[in-house]
Amino acid sequence: MFNKNTVAAGVAAFASVALAAGCAVADGNKADDVDITAMSADELAEHLIFETGSWRDQEMQEGGTWADRMTQDEIQKACSFDNTRNDLDGEVAGKVVALAREQYEAPEGDIELGDWRKGAELADSGYGYRIGHNIDDHGTREPGGNCYNCHVMDSSVSVQGTIGPNLENYGAQRGDSQEIRQYVHQVISNPHQYFPCGEMPRFQGLLTEEQISHIMAYLLDPESPVNNR
Amino acid sequence: MFKKALLALPVAMAVGVAGTAAQAEWQDPNDVLQKLLEAQPDSKYLHQSEMNIMMMPDNPALYLLDDGEELFYKERGPNNVSLEACDFGKGEGVLEGAYVRLPRYFDDVGKVMDFEQRLVHCMKEIQGFTEDDSAVSQRHGSGSDIMRLTTYIAHQSSGYEWDLPLDHPEEQAMRDAGEVLFFRRGGAMDFNCASCHGQSGKQIRASVLPEMRNSQEWTKAVSWPAHRAGQDNVRSQNHRIRGCLWQMRHAGILPDTPVNTALISYWNDAARGEPAILPDLKR
Repeated sequence: MFNKNTVAAGVAAFASVALAAGCAVADGNKADDVDITAMSADELAEHLIFETGSWRDQEMQEGGTWADRMTQDEIQKACSFDNTRNDLDGEVAGKVVALAREQYEAPEGDIELGDWRKGAELADSGYGYRIGHNIDDHGTREPGGNCYNCHVMDSSVSVQGTIGPNLENYGAQRGDSQEIRQYVHQVISNPHQYFPCGEMPRFQGLLTEEQISHIMAYLLDPESPVNNR
Repeated sequence: MFKKALLALPVAMAVGVAGTAAQAEWQDPNDVLQKLLEAQPDSKYLHQSEMNIMMMPDNPALYLLDDGEELFYKERGPNNVSLEACDFGKGEGVLEGAYVRLPRYFDDVGKVMDFEQRLVHCMKEIQGFTEDDSAVSQRHGSGSDIMRLTTYIAHQSSGYEWDLPLDHPEEQAMRDAGEVLFFRRGGAMDFNCASCHGQSGKQIRASVLPEMRNSQEWTKAVSWPAHRAGQDNVRSQNHRIRGCLWQMRHAGILPDTPVNTALISYWNDAARGEPAILPDLKR
């Protein structure tokens, strides 16, 4: 997820070339010397992000700077199309699936489920990785899974989102075999393996393997309220 | 009555030909909202809060108007002058219909500015405030000068259709870059703006989200300043962008910056042709 260093280095190199070529960095108040009308919309968007002082200078929770976080990796780049007007191109889909499989790290051996009670808390928690005017402090509170933001999992506990599919009775309908566990681990870790350019974040790297095992228990454990709806 | 209609016809045709048929008539924000609700009876977004719809005539944001007006016309700052010399694009001191025609290119600075950036520019250049003066540094809260001025000035454009100019090449460039930014996936969780605003009637938890391609939902979405009931404060377009990027796990955006301006250009263009609700009341 955060293996962006090589890409970031490329951008930094580009930026220094641009500076050497005499491009002024905007201070937000004066017009700079860059002719923004000479750039394509894509070039201008990158220029605005990286060269105009538009971000707070803060250290990201995962380490690195705002520039590291705002630098796109290959999957983010490939998925940055207007999906309200254009369908996902088949070639792009294949490329994204391949990239996601490459990024994904499968657990060794059999996958064990964690504690569904902890999974329920993680699914409800929208904490983590937010930065700017308020900073989520991972030292005082662990990041959550944000699951309820987009998925109904147990509709009895709170109002839950509808951007993603309803997951009530997920395990009750599918069982709890190693194959199902592997699939669920793959989807939570890097959903682009099955849903290229879908909305869901890649949680491998954002959550620990232990946290993922708790969320998987919440989805698959027969005792979990998700499976008794 | 009929004579008026006859007279109006050639005018309407002339306006149509000129391509500037934008609404140029002030309307009460509650009347604008009611028309949108009638036009879209099935919009979950527009109809999500009966309480807020009911409260609209008593929108707490309206209480900022008098203070905002006083601040605008009062001689203030080190230079002891009012903001009447400030040009928001329609001439010095002309506020009616100005807010919906922003962001735009300003000759005096040689670049595209959004509303708040222009307001702060005027407070500094005309009134002489500096970055350290709370008049310009305090951007938050219904008690801040910036939010009071914003609410008063924006209110002068209520009911006017969003109609930012794109004639200058830099205006078009910023709007187009804003479109790229809107769909640019990034940050710790790979989101773009369309992750939440690309489909109709979807929810993040209890919040029903506006769909960017539904211009009648989108005009309400971008109609800030608005009183946010959940925060008990009037907030701006800048606050909405900041809040979205924060939830999206992008980096922390700063006001008066080109990324902010480009995003607002695209936002307001996506609401083009629909009347603005100024100020609005949101959940």
